[in-house]
Amino acid sequence: MIGTGSALIAAAVLFLLLWIWIRTDASSRELPLAPDEWLPGGGEGAEACPPEFVSRIFSGDDLAFVWRLDSPGLKRQFRRERHAVALLWVQQTSAAVRRIMRRHLEASRASQDLEFAVEVRVFLQYAQLRVICGVLFLLVGLAGPERLRGMALYTHRLTQSIGGVLREFESGARAREISGAGPY
Amino acid sequence: MSAEIKLVPVQEAYDDLVNRTLSRIFCDLGRLIYLASTREYNTGNYHHEGLASRFGPEVARKALELAHRQAFYKVSALSLEDLVSELETYLRSTKENPQECLRAWQKLEPYRIAMPADVNVTVARLFTSNLRLALAILHFRQEPSHSHR
Repeated sequence: MIGTGSALIAAAVLFLLLWIWIRTDASSRELPLAPDEWLPGGGEGAEACPPEFVSRIFSGDDLAFVWRLDSPGLKRQFRRERHAVALLWVQQTSAAVRRIMRRHLEASRASQDLEFAVEVRVFLQYAQLRVICGVLFLLVGLAGPERLRGMALYTHRLTQSIGGVLREFESGARAREISGAGPY
Repeated sequence: MSAEIKLVPVQEAYDDLVNRTLSRIFCDLGRLIYLASTREYNTGNYHHEGLASRFGPEVARKALELAHRQAFYKVSALSLEDLVSELETYLRSTKENPQECLRAWQKLEPYRIAMPADVNVTVARLFTSNLRLALAILHFRQEPSHSHR
């Protein structure tokens, strides 16, 4: 009986998660994607999203302004537009984290003196970021970006931190290579 | 040392551009549109006759690129309320009919070519998204049912 009950609850939770995922995915596709596909960024040379823009995307000020206009059509458009921008930021952050981790793994494989504590810290930060990005992706559609500002800024800081660890690791490896090479 | 020698003329050209040209344009959106118009469609290179004759084409190009990037990030960071005011000011400042301009901007989205190359993709999306919203808000304010309230 307990087994059946647990299975039903698990099925309900799974169904709910699937529903949230589909709803979020659908809202990210509502905007006309084709015209934005040529946005001038996203390449290797593209800049990282500055923190003031993370704050702006997840701010409640713009929502309050649109609410004061008292137009259901504008409210709907604002929600759709801002959800899409917030979801794009989550996707970009998630992709950046994966890129950082891939580079870190490549650098670790080449390194001969790995520090266990640093590797564990990097892995835990990576796992935490992947989970947060997944949660943010689901919550943007449910709660709205304006309620997730703190979480988004935390994610941004953590991404910067993991990127910083990689930079330190790479510069340390380069320094060791240079000192190991010896004089010509 | 060589980087310092190269950077100083770019800074000088940038200051000259800001003081002589951009200061005459009285809104940030107007400055952004102007700077985007100095970029050639085919090559993506910036050109300004006066600046190039004073500082050389390469220094002028770098100064224009820098100014364009700064203007873009400044407009993108505006709150929606401030962007609506900027857009209103810009549309009034053109010699065309503001209502016709508004319609054309909604239909053709010319602001898309105002973005510099290689900017962050999320900021670029925020920029186009906010401009679409600002245009919709101005359009809403011009509706007779709303303006007679």
